[in-house]
Amino acid sequence: MTTEGTNGLQQALDGPLTGIRVLELSDEKGQFCGKLMADLGADVIKIEPPGGQNTRSIGPFLADIPNRERSLSFWHYNTSKRGITLNLASLDGQRLFRDLAAKADVILETHPPGHLDTLGLGYEQLSQHNPGLIMCSLTPFGQSGPWRDYLSSDLLHMAAGGQMASSGYDQDDVPDAPPIAPGGGNAWHIAGHYAYMGILAALYYRDMSGDGQYIDASIHEACALTTEGAIAIYLSNGSVVQRHTGRHASPDMSTRIQLATKGGDWVNVTRSGSNLTPARLRVLAEWMDEHGLAQDLLDEKYYALDGILENAFHITEVMADFFIQMPQSEIWQGGQERDFPWGGVRTLDDIMGDPHLEERNFFVQVEHPELGQSFTYPGAAAIYNGSPWNISRRAPLIGEHNQEVLCDELGVSQAELNLLAESGVV
Amino acid sequence: MNAKSVKPHPLEGIRVVDFTWVRAGPWAARWLGTLGADVIKVEWPENLDILRQNRFTIPPGVEPGPNSTGQFADTNATKRGISINTRTEKGLDLVKQLISVSDVVIENFSSRIMRRWGLSYEEMRKLRPDLVYVSMAGFGQTGRHHAYSTMGPSAQALSGLTFLSGLPGKPPAGWGWSYLDDTGGMYGAMCALTALRHRNATGKGQHVDLSQMITGITLSGPAFLDRTVNGRVSKREGYPPGNRTVWPGAPVINNYRGPTVAPHNAYRAKGGGYNDWCVIACFSNEEWVRLAGVMGNPAWAKDPKFDTLNGRIQHQEEMDSAIEIWTQTLQKYELMEVCQKAGVRAMPVQSSEDRVEYDPQLRDRGMYTQLEHPMLGTWKFQNAPFKLDKSPAVISGPPPMIGQHNREIFEKLLGLTIGEISEAYEDGTFWPPKMPKYPYIEEALP
Repeated sequence: MTTEGTNGLQQALDGPLTGIRVLELSDEKGQFCGKLMADLGADVIKIEPPGGQNTRSIGPFLADIPNRERSLSFWHYNTSKRGITLNLASLDGQRLFRDLAAKADVILETHPPGHLDTLGLGYEQLSQHNPGLIMCSLTPFGQSGPWRDYLSSDLLHMAAGGQMASSGYDQDDVPDAPPIAPGGGNAWHIAGHYAYMGILAALYYRDMSGDGQYIDASIHEACALTTEGAIAIYLSNGSVVQRHTGRHASPDMSTRIQLATKGGDWVNVTRSGSNLTPARLRVLAEWMDEHGLAQDLLDEKYYALDGILENAFHITEVMADFFIQMPQSEIWQGGQERDFPWGGVRTLDDIMGDPHLEERNFFVQVEHPELGQSFTYPGAAAIYNGSPWNISRRAPLIGEHNQEVLCDELGVSQAELNLLAESGVV
Repeated sequence: MNAKSVKPHPLEGIRVVDFTWVRAGPWAARWLGTLGADVIKVEWPENLDILRQNRFTIPPGVEPGPNSTGQFADTNATKRGISINTRTEKGLDLVKQLISVSDVVIENFSSRIMRRWGLSYEEMRKLRPDLVYVSMAGFGQTGRHHAYSTMGPSAQALSGLTFLSGLPGKPPAGWGWSYLDDTGGMYGAMCALTALRHRNATGKGQHVDLSQMITGITLSGPAFLDRTVNGRVSKREGYPPGNRTVWPGAPVINNYRGPTVAPHNAYRAKGGGYNDWCVIACFSNEEWVRLAGVMGNPAWAKDPKFDTLNGRIQHQEEMDSAIEIWTQTLQKYELMEVCQKAGVRAMPVQSSEDRVEYDPQLRDRGMYTQLEHPMLGTWKFQNAPFKLDKSPAVISGPPPMIGQHNREIFEKLLGLTIGEISEAYEDGTFWPPKMPKYPYIEEALP
């Protein structure tokens, strides 16, 4: 990434976390948080067991051929990181990890609570030689409490966290439907975002005080606080929300906001019909009238006091009749052109090639030199104008940076590295 | 009444001008506040924050009004608030003075608003050269559709997140809340923290141009690569696969729920109530054997066709039905306990009530802080899910009532005299002339 410098020359800009060294001891629970830091310029060293981490066995795979170097899931979640292998159960592995920790700014780990302590690699032990060290343990339920040692998964967190209780179908759409977990991986995303926040707060505090600290982050708590109004509604009047198709769960029946368009697509109109104003309804009705599909919506009764509120369900049905005659993109973009904050329910096929995203340089080409190919990855949600986000390299191959990190930077001799490899330490 | 922590706050000394409203933006600034920043929410009573109008969250017996909604309270805890008309020259000038003594400006308007006010990044950096400016427009501030606006549900739809949950052959189930307001909020806080940390390292501020809608696309990584690398289309048989990793009878491919395994589903629990469901997942043959053991090794589960992962996927419908006959004999928390004790992954579907009242883990960890709120009385606020042992995040105060801190901020921070403050009320800068003032505003006046 470059920018116009004060001297008129193109100058390379570093990411905002340049100079921060992170050791990542994380599986699926923490790899997303590590990616957030790595793509923003931190030097994230992923430490995997010899032979690679189990997350490399999660599909989909390149060309559907399963292989630990071909997991697209691993590729996505481990961009911009370097990778080494280390057996932390071995004394040599523990010694090398201590040496790395002495020079690290942050350790991100997702082992079961207490596990690193039993290896002599807990925060108390590691920070003795590095008082500025920040360690974040990101675990399913945190380091304490009755569920501390319970097993979890992405789906389990979506259940216990409350996501499923809010998501699913109206009875009319799917009778007796179960609660439906949102798309995969979001327990890790929610937790990763919060863990990132905690780590950055600790880095800021260290800048001010010189002190590192320990962070106990809980995936369950992160999920439990990510259901927007459900908790506030319960606290306010004791009611529990009901699930509705493609819109907010709520204590009562609300008007539909996800309406079908021509050809089997949908558009989300964001807020229920009862939230229209008379002026906005008129804009909408006139647009529908251009297509001969306004039905009775230009009738004055809708523009009287409470006319919209009292007829919200009818207004929604007239909108639905209009939408089903029109292509998805014409509806949502036509709505946007008239200042309605609508959105098409897009698939990834629809998103590819979106010119708005292209103009924000969202589609990023990442080179895989070992394959002689480049692939398109999702880019930045936020453009840092003074210190750019950037995928600096594809995910590491198994042990790809053992030599670079252990020998070149830590001073392990080539002979010793060979011994470590033969004895299963790296 | 503020439960001040005795420990230091990480963002002590940082001041945030918070122009945000609705949910995503206020949620971002809320986290900066809990981390110790002085967050000043800028409002105008004639253009009320939608959450101040949320009718579902005014408790019975509480006088309705913009200071009485529970949803606004939790979303805006630990902030101070001013009311000022930025559409007047005088109001805008005072806002500029406020920016000049602040570290962060954060807003989630559509992309045109700040520029219209003369508060583009270029203008604001003249007021404060090392300012961190986080904008949170739905589509961002660049790109051809920057002026489009979104709310959580439409941002989710456009990002692809809505499409990827539901049952095959049915409309998308989507998300039962504005997930991208939560995510956009977290992201807004992350961007501010990251740019502040960068400012510590370099002395330079910057503009971070966040797009709420695009945050959602970044959460579909494996599906995104499956599309760009393998060319896999989204509209396909058996997708999305409900709560399963693969739908019965559909081609066995990874549908981005982690490893492709079975069982992996929600099952009805005893009681039969709306939220009486328990999810169970077996990630290996060993876990399946343990589940069979917990169920009492019924005859059906001994059928060799269930011994392998492939067999369980081939006969998923039959297996799930049989599992559900067993799960309906126990209540959802009992199912969790018996499964977890045996090393089987199981968790109850928890409603809001379950989390607040019955979740022993959240209670043990102190998920909710009780504070006094001037309208709501004793009220629960949601705590941070990360515990920093030296400089914790703390909900240290309730949200501001609209305009509550006008006097202390304009007098103590910007140095206005009492006379100037009174005049600004009279000329409509601090309060709409035709609107009655709340007692707390009158009381703060000389």
